[in-house]
Amino acid sequence: MMKPLEDFLSHFNAKIFLDETFLVKKRNRYFLWNEALKNVIARNFFYAGLYLGKMRKGRFFPSFNLLKMIGKTKANKVVVDKKTEWLFICGRDIFKRGIKKVKGSREKGSYVLILNMKDECLGYGKILHNLNKTSERVVIKNILDIGDFLRRESK
Amino acid sequence: MSNKKFFEERYAKLGWKFKYVKPKQAIRINTMNIAEEKVVNRLEALKIKLEKVPFLEHGYWVHHSEFSLGATSEYLLGLYSIQEAAAQIPATLFTELKNKVVLDACAAPGGKTVQLADLMQNTGVIIALDVKKERLTAMANHLERCHVKNTIIYNLDARHASKLKLKFDCILLDVPCSGNFSTDKQWFRKRTIKDIERNAKLQREIMTEAAKILKDDGEMIYSTCSLEPEENELNINWAIENLNLKVAKIDCYGENTSTKIFGKQLDNQIENCRRIWPGKTQGFFVCKLKKVA
Repeated sequence: MMKPLEDFLSHFNAKIFLDETFLVKKRNRYFLWNEALKNVIARNFFYAGLYLGKMRKGRFFPSFNLLKMIGKTKANKVVVDKKTEWLFICGRDIFKRGIKKVKGSREKGSYVLILNMKDECLGYGKILHNLNKTSERVVIKNILDIGDFLRRESK
Repeated sequence: MSNKKFFEERYAKLGWKFKYVKPKQAIRINTMNIAEEKVVNRLEALKIKLEKVPFLEHGYWVHHSEFSLGATSEYLLGLYSIQEAAAQIPATLFTELKNKVVLDACAAPGGKTVQLADLMQNTGVIIALDVKKERLTAMANHLERCHVKNTIIYNLDARHASKLKLKFDCILLDVPCSGNFSTDKQWFRKRTIKDIERNAKLQREIMTEAAKILKDDGEMIYSTCSLEPEENELNINWAIENLNLKVAKIDCYGENTSTKIFGKQLDNQIENCRRIWPGKTQGFFVCKLKKVA
């Protein structure tokens, strides 16, 4: 049951301890419970505990709870400035000039969490061009950002 | 007689002179995710003008904002919720919530569920029910945005809550109601006394079920955003007579309710309920019920 989650975490070089006793898969969605929830839950729940993400067409889609948990570990992260934060949550990709700090991998193809200057997780993206090289181009592709909550409402 | 006139006359009999009001937009800080003053400072830096709601611990009225309050990073990060001021009152009336088993019986879209989780600091368990399946996804999104982790959602009619085979320390009954004109411009056009009586019956059925699953020393908060006595004082009077419940005193914003409604003398405990006429907030009614030992 852990494999999709472990695979996803490995993209960020991140490790999180998830107690399998409290990890639950309901159809294609993953939840993390605790002792108190486990004692009272019935089988036909719609949502329970901490939602971690879902599988769709063989791909794992993380929740923002999981991204926040990854953000607290030693994972690949990029801190962006205020203007880039706003553009990112509007669904835009990231230019090199908007990056204030990089932690972990800078290599093309790596996945990175995107944090604002208060270290709050805004989503994640994929590095398109090595971050060590000077570039005026888009360097990180937006994969998921918190603006998704607004897009879900309008669907 | 027009529908509007009919209801205006009823409100006059209850001691309130009708006037149109538009409730101010309000927010509530999710203190489980961040310290309150940090969010306030951040919002003020965005030129959002806030005023602390004097009768709420974490509530603010919004006087001015250059952009939608539902589109800031702070909102999307779950640091605050948009929640009308009167609607923030019911969850705050429980004596103790931390580590308790709590039922939010008519929970969607989840504003009060998130507030309960916040007051519980994500401890204990909240069971959140809603009968309409199509409303559950919005509620789940709300919980995810605010990083709530102590809640279980079921697609279940509150009238069948005993199917869960649980007893609850606290039950929030923010029951489906007829609403009021201050949040619905078309209210006088579409509401009739028959609707109100139908809703009042549904509310009594929900209360009956909730009374069965409330622990002996448990607390139940009943609230509506209706101004109609059938859904408020008269229903609570019925609960006192039929469900072995008593109305506990509460200390919150609003007026003590009258024990005489449309000529009918009600139980004296009814004066422990609170009625809020539209003005600074929307119209609202709230009370705390306990089981008689």
